[in-house]
Amino acid sequence: MQLERIGDFVWELPRSGGMKVPGRVYLAPSQLEQVADGKALEQVRNVAYLPGIVGASLAMPDIHWGYGFPIGGVAAVDATDGAISPGGVGYDINCGCRLIATSLAAEDIRPRLRGAVERLYETVPTGVGASRAIEPLAPKELRRVLSEGAAWAIRRGFCAGDDDLLHCEEGGRLAGAEPEAVTPRAVERGSDQLGTLGSGNHFLELQRVDEIYDAAAAAAFGLEAGALAVMIHSGSRGLGHETCDATLRSLARDYVRYGADYAALPDRQLACAPISSEVGRRYLGAMQAAANYAWANRQVMTGLAVSALSTALGVGRSELRARLVYDVCHNIAKFEEHVVDGAPRRVLVHRKGATRAFAAGDPRVPAAYRGVGQPVLIPGDMGRYSFVLAGNALAMQATFGSSCHGAGRLLSRKAALERAGKRRIDRELRERGIEVMSRGLRTLAEEMSEAYKDVRDVVDVIEGAGLSRKVARLVPLGVIKG
Amino acid sequence: MGHRYAYPAPYEELDHTADLGVVVRGDSVEAVAARLVLAFSHLLSGGAPVAEVERRTIIAAAGDSAAMVVDVLSELLYLFERERLLPSSVEIVQFEAKTGARLEVGFGRYDAALHAEGVVLKAVTLHEARVERDNGGFRGQIVFDV
Repeated sequence: MQLERIGDFVWELPRSGGMKVPGRVYLAPSQLEQVADGKALEQVRNVAYLPGIVGASLAMPDIHWGYGFPIGGVAAVDATDGAISPGGVGYDINCGCRLIATSLAAEDIRPRLRGAVERLYETVPTGVGASRAIEPLAPKELRRVLSEGAAWAIRRGFCAGDDDLLHCEEGGRLAGAEPEAVTPRAVERGSDQLGTLGSGNHFLELQRVDEIYDAAAAAAFGLEAGALAVMIHSGSRGLGHETCDATLRSLARDYVRYGADYAALPDRQLACAPISSEVGRRYLGAMQAAANYAWANRQVMTGLAVSALSTALGVGRSELRARLVYDVCHNIAKFEEHVVDGAPRRVLVHRKGATRAFAAGDPRVPAAYRGVGQPVLIPGDMGRYSFVLAGNALAMQATFGSSCHGAGRLLSRKAALERAGKRRIDRELRERGIEVMSRGLRTLAEEMSEAYKDVRDVVDVIEGAGLSRKVARLVPLGVIKG
Repeated sequence: MGHRYAYPAPYEELDHTADLGVVVRGDSVEAVAARLVLAFSHLLSGGAPVAEVERRTIIAAAGDSAAMVVDVLSELLYLFERERLLPSSVEIVQFEAKTGARLEVGFGRYDAALHAEGVVLKAVTLHEARVERDNGGFRGQIVFDV
């Protein structure tokens, strides 16, 4: 598949066959080998077939082979005539990331670091069967979660500071959610998983703010060099998975009935429906409800983590001064207004392993951050670093206000296990001063640093392309994983 | 049909960057379907033993072979998540595109200590899902979202 260079960090896949728009991939020349096998690029090409797609089928520099959409994929479709693709959101609806700042100096907690990680591991359920962080919810109460999102959890005391909702994408709730559109089976799966981390690449990490690149933005975000922070990466758990699964399996059998454009889709995992159709509307309502569940999930874990830290470190909440810096989604589809071909247009933006990155001055950015741009949280891997960026104006023009979401995998899980062999990744990390606890050794091997691209390379492309700019780098101190 | 396949069964892991895929082979479509179920169980159990304690009937609606396998595995994933059941044996009673699939599946119970190295599977995907003829036999492939 031939890419044509159209910028320092931008490559175009020209329209061909049934592509309605070109593909556009953000990569450094040195990263091209990572897509050389063509699988991820094929998915960029396939997404360009989506009915109603506008602009381009985009991919961020953490691009890798997903299913249907590439991970790192962004696609906007016309809000009226376009298609909604559950595969363009993913199974883990509103998988996302949040960052909690504290007033503690990271190195001051070193003597109690192991105890803090152990306490977090005891408090936040992880891994297979992770459940019962809080009492299981009856269906009626769970539907309130699906409607209210993060606010449900805050009302029950799960919070960092007093203004968590102000620092959460969409205020932690999508208003169009339809709890009744979520299947009983999905409700059942979600009933006892609120406040649980999951597994795989999900994590709860204690971090140190290691380097500041943009002093003004860091000050606005409340990030100080040397401070202790907490990053949480998780999503909608079984409820979201079931919601996506139920829709996809039903759509996969009959999406072709929506017309020639749908029948022409090259991959059935891209199965989609018109936004205006009964199926499309129902999925949208259910997806938004599942997104609210994910926000509630991360909010409950926030409350649990802050309490666990306070206890483990022997500091009161008033001394800890935890506050939510921001919460971003990276598997979502949202109605947004963007400029397309020179005119404002309402579109449905699918972000599949990509993060919203709105610029300074945008009214959708929290007031406290509007002068510098929206925080963009980019987790790396548990052995190196993560980054906080700020959204730039160019992203609004070029990528529907989108940026990357993480490092992106370099190795398959199989290859990572082979490379790890009998190595004890937990011991290797401990020798470097990073405490880690997980349910199994396999997860640690699959998630080791070598399995991931260096997130710094990903972020450098994003910054070089002008989509977002570096604000701070954070390094891991302690990690819990499933 | 009528043959009961027991855990563990041979499979290969696919090289998929983001997720986890398995490939199995067999001399029939039914053998492939059964081995995909047992491969699924092997992933969830981390390869540790699974002692059978009960049997249940699992049904999938009519469709192509890959779609039926995906439906079966999705149902099994639900049973694992809600009841901590791990497949220990499989008998394919019926596996027909026009009439659907019916499997008699033996189950063991998940043990957090014994099965600690099991993988958390979020979903069974249709991506690259295949049951097809291959070199005189059959080959099946499923990718799981992790």
